[in-house]
Amino acid sequence: MKKTIALLLAIFMIVAMFAGCANTDENSDGGNADVGNTDQPDDSNTPDDTDPSDVKDTYTYQDSVVTMATNWNPHTYQTTDDAYPSDIGRIRIGLYDIIFNDELHPVEGKDPYTGYVVIPEMAASEPVDVTEQVKAEHPEFNIPESATAGYAYTIDLNPNACWEDGTPINADTYVYSMQRLLDPDLMNYRAADYYAQQLSIAGAEAYANGGHTAWADALGAYALADLVKGEDGNYYTADGQAVGIGLKIALDWLSGDTLQAYVDAYGADYFDVTNWETLTGMMDAKGVVRLNDETLALFTPVVTGNEAWGETEADLPNYFVTGTDYPVVEYDGTVGLYKSGDYQITLVLAKSLAGFNLLYSLTSNWIVYEPYYEACLSESNGVWSSTYNTSVETTMSYGPYKLTEYQTDKFMKFEKNETWYGWTDGQHQYVDPTDGNTYDMYQTDVIECEVVAEPETRKLMFLKGELMSYGLQAEDFASYRNSDYVYFTPSETIYFLILNGYKDAIKGREAAADFDTSAYDLETLTLKTFKQAMAVTYDKELFCSTISPARSGGYGIIGNAYVYDVDTGSMYRDTDQAKQVLCDFYGVDVSQYASLDEAVDSITGYDPEAAKELYAQAYQEALDAGFITDSNGDGICDQTIQIEYAISTDSDFMTQTLDYLNEKVAEVTVGTPFEGKIVFVKSAPYGNDWSNKIKAGLADTVLAGWSGSSLDPFGLTDLYVNPEYQYDAGWFDATTVNLTLTIDGEEITMNLRQWSDALNGATVAVGDKEYCFGDGIADVDTRLTILAAIEGEILQTYNYIPMMQDASAALLSQQVYYVVEEYNPICGRGGIQYMRYNYSDAEWAEYIAENGGELQY
Amino acid sequence: MAKYVTQRILLMLMTLLIITCICFVLIRMLPPAELPLNDPHTQVIEARREAAGYNKPYMVQFGIFLKNVFTKWDWGVSDKLYFGQDVVKLFATKLPATVCVNLYSILLSIPLGVALGIWAALKKNTWLDYTISTLTMVVISVPSFVFAFLIQYFLSYKLGWFPFLMKEGTDYFSWNMFVSMLPAVFSLSFGVVASFTRTTRAELTEVLTSEFMLLARTKGLTKAQATVRHALKNCMVVVLPAIFGEFIGIMSGSLVIEKIFAIPGVGGLYLNAINGRDYPIFIMVSCFYTAVSLLAGIVIDISYGFIDPRIRMGSKK
Repeated sequence: MKKTIALLLAIFMIVAMFAGCANTDENSDGGNADVGNTDQPDDSNTPDDTDPSDVKDTYTYQDSVVTMATNWNPHTYQTTDDAYPSDIGRIRIGLYDIIFNDELHPVEGKDPYTGYVVIPEMAASEPVDVTEQVKAEHPEFNIPESATAGYAYTIDLNPNACWEDGTPINADTYVYSMQRLLDPDLMNYRAADYYAQQLSIAGAEAYANGGHTAWADALGAYALADLVKGEDGNYYTADGQAVGIGLKIALDWLSGDTLQAYVDAYGADYFDVTNWETLTGMMDAKGVVRLNDETLALFTPVVTGNEAWGETEADLPNYFVTGTDYPVVEYDGTVGLYKSGDYQITLVLAKSLAGFNLLYSLTSNWIVYEPYYEACLSESNGVWSSTYNTSVETTMSYGPYKLTEYQTDKFMKFEKNETWYGWTDGQHQYVDPTDGNTYDMYQTDVIECEVVAEPETRKLMFLKGELMSYGLQAEDFASYRNSDYVYFTPSETIYFLILNGYKDAIKGREAAADFDTSAYDLETLTLKTFKQAMAVTYDKELFCSTISPARSGGYGIIGNAYVYDVDTGSMYRDTDQAKQVLCDFYGVDVSQYASLDEAVDSITGYDPEAAKELYAQAYQEALDAGFITDSNGDGICDQTIQIEYAISTDSDFMTQTLDYLNEKVAEVTVGTPFEGKIVFVKSAPYGNDWSNKIKAGLADTVLAGWSGSSLDPFGLTDLYVNPEYQYDAGWFDATTVNLTLTIDGEEITMNLRQWSDALNGATVAVGDKEYCFGDGIADVDTRLTILAAIEGEILQTYNYIPMMQDASAALLSQQVYYVVEEYNPICGRGGIQYMRYNYSDAEWAEYIAENGGELQY
Repeated sequence: MAKYVTQRILLMLMTLLIITCICFVLIRMLPPAELPLNDPHTQVIEARREAAGYNKPYMVQFGIFLKNVFTKWDWGVSDKLYFGQDVVKLFATKLPATVCVNLYSILLSIPLGVALGIWAALKKNTWLDYTISTLTMVVISVPSFVFAFLIQYFLSYKLGWFPFLMKEGTDYFSWNMFVSMLPAVFSLSFGVVASFTRTTRAELTEVLTSEFMLLARTKGLTKAQATVRHALKNCMVVVLPAIFGEFIGIMSGSLVIEKIFAIPGVGGLYLNAINGRDYPIFIMVSCFYTAVSLLAGIVIDISYGFIDPRIRMGSKK
């Protein structure tokens, strides 16, 4: 007993010793229960002899994330988690920013907080178009002769902008940063943002790819006889372009897929894979092997050596790609971003961009702090890496806040950046619509963010007043759906069930030795009638309320949050064209309703009786086609239609989804030939490969969706007609579906791909006429008509069955409020910029204590 | 003894090399994460992969890796999860949190587990023994994350005695940090306490019924003296290696507990490295744990000789 007591005593002493080693630094005081309780002002603001009544209230925004940012370098960050310091922490700010319109920032014809205003931030004023001047003075940027505007701008920089240490930010900073961003040796992830996206800086691609070769699908344009053999033994086009075999390049011949994806999926069943490993060993980083006699000899049997693939040597050119060599070039004179004054830069673009889209593209920034940036670069075996912006020591802020604490995978803290110009420029103020008073933006003094991985923990912390918001989980909706503090936020994505229609792939699967065709069938799934039946089997609202209550039923393929007119903020789904197309698709007779709105509101997409009829019809079609049998003549299908649902990783959500799909299809098929014969089963976890499985027809369904730019619904059409993106490219060719529309009195017939291309700015030739319905070329109404018509055609394929409109719901702490309740697709609810506090930190602590440490929502 | 230890160390180094090679090849054989087609960013990723030598034959890659480690102590930089950061430094920043939480857990649970085991053995077949044994089985059957949530709910939320999460910062030996670690420590300890209780009780029960214990009592020792001097010492042949094993285990993080209590430790790092195909982190951490485990095996083997002199290491007789 004595020894036990002695042991316990020893443990106590050890613990006491550790406690004695306590770091007395004030930063280490306080447990997590006190995190964010900065009710004591810091020493810099409050001398010891200050009257307590003069103590400034502090406001701390306490946030949580599941994954902490690890790299917020504007040149290399890759994930949305990494964007936290700039998006929420606001340690950096763009040349321009978008804020709400109010009395201080009025927009003609718009009520306060119903629109937005673009204001200069790191810029001093709006860009000035100097296309004509630059075209004349700098022919090296190749501005088209016909262009008179939209290609070159001068941007005056804000002379008051500086880094948090006071170092000025001037034109040299911007030019240095762009040069480093595009540096071909550094291979920065974000470089492509400045040449391959909407904002495409002249010469940026050539500079960034200097010393490399870029490959593109030759589209079968060159037969071997058209090529010439160079001195190095490799083949070239007549005009000197290098030619290769695209093993891992998306090819039009393969409906936008890569040969490697096919070989990985089908292997020796369809290809002669004897030489495949040798070939891939010779492949470069871009997925190409140079074409020469040796590689051609190795490659030819791959696609011609297996009868199942069924190709001959005549098909080989479809795998050829042509390369563009980018020589090493100097930045100066190549890249269209240069200094034109100490506080002025000139931006020259490869593609014209103007108006809102130009300003929107410049709401992000690329500048880096040169001393830190250079110190953080390191090279190992020819590969450059950088630790810039991975810690407090490697971060220099220039926005309203600065990073003051960071612990990897744990915690980050931002405090007001005293050197930010915005505190004193008088521009960063707004009129609160609730009380009519004018306030400074950024009331929040401190932003603290820590990793809280478990939603249950987040909820408890939120209810204790330790977090500002809590994203509701499915099980929370019963309790909080009607709370005064719950906010629903719509999102762009529509989730649809993709239904496999890839007949060749399905036949291949059914031919496998382990597939029992007497017990199972997959081919019935490819019948349009069967897909139609599936489409009306599910009550979308019930589906959402069962598996994801924050979301709502989805009916079109374009979501509710897409703005088609950035000037007015008008939404596509609110237009007559978008409403009418849904009514047409779901068979709603608009004349039976008082208005189009009422008609569209009546859509449920759920019709079990129609589903039964369609299942009966599909059964007969499948029987006639020999897909299924009815050996005992009981009118019930012998085979089970086993639909494999492609999962990336297994989860409760997946289980609930499949349970719902199975339960409802079982209910609806009662009394039909498919009673008890349709089953959804989970696939093996495919990880990121799930989309390839769907595209290759190796899995049958999945709940998936696209999220495009919320300000460009028109661009979405490409995702459904371009085989490079289509999920259904293997069994739906948009170039074979014609659509006739009457535009300005002219009846125009084009295929879906052509309509989509024309809608998105390409000039499409049909017969002897050319059409382009791009932004700024066709009127908005025409573009909406085309968009709605394409949406209707895609819905009619039944390859995509809309199920869910994405959205989220979160509780907001009683400590704060949004100045606007209504969600704005461009400005959200104002974010940290407009957040107002009901209680300071000290008051909040008191309030929580008064409520017994547990808040009610 | 020295010869035996030398042999074991050489064998350990060879085993380490073989395991490292297997891990290295296997992780690189995993297909890289699919990249979206026609996304211009993927070209950069592919180009970086090429430059980093990921498209070279595996054994060539392994050779480069060994060369860098032995000539420059260069274990590489993270190329995905913690872009550009030195993996050794990264691991070093993660280890203290894991070690601290596990150390506190062991300091709490081993004495408690052994004491409960002794108590149950001495009171064999009484209500006390039944209670301890039943509780032990219950605790062993319940996963630690269940305790974690219960502790969070009752001690942190309802009673407000502890913070929900481990405190931020690196002041690992401060009082506030210690208090913030306690929920995690308790969650980890339940299982360890139960495990030691069960082992100690089983061993001690067997030893207490041995004939030499009867002899010890007949020669005049009290029950306590006989238990401490003879029974406990004999049962330690099994218990002590388990204790060593636990101490070695303090460096391995509990993924679930680290996640629930936001402990920035190595558990999550290792798993994320595998999921994210962050090869440099995976290999560095794998090598570290392999080395530690092999070393632990040697230490435990040698410890037998000290605990029970009848056990001779490396003896051919």
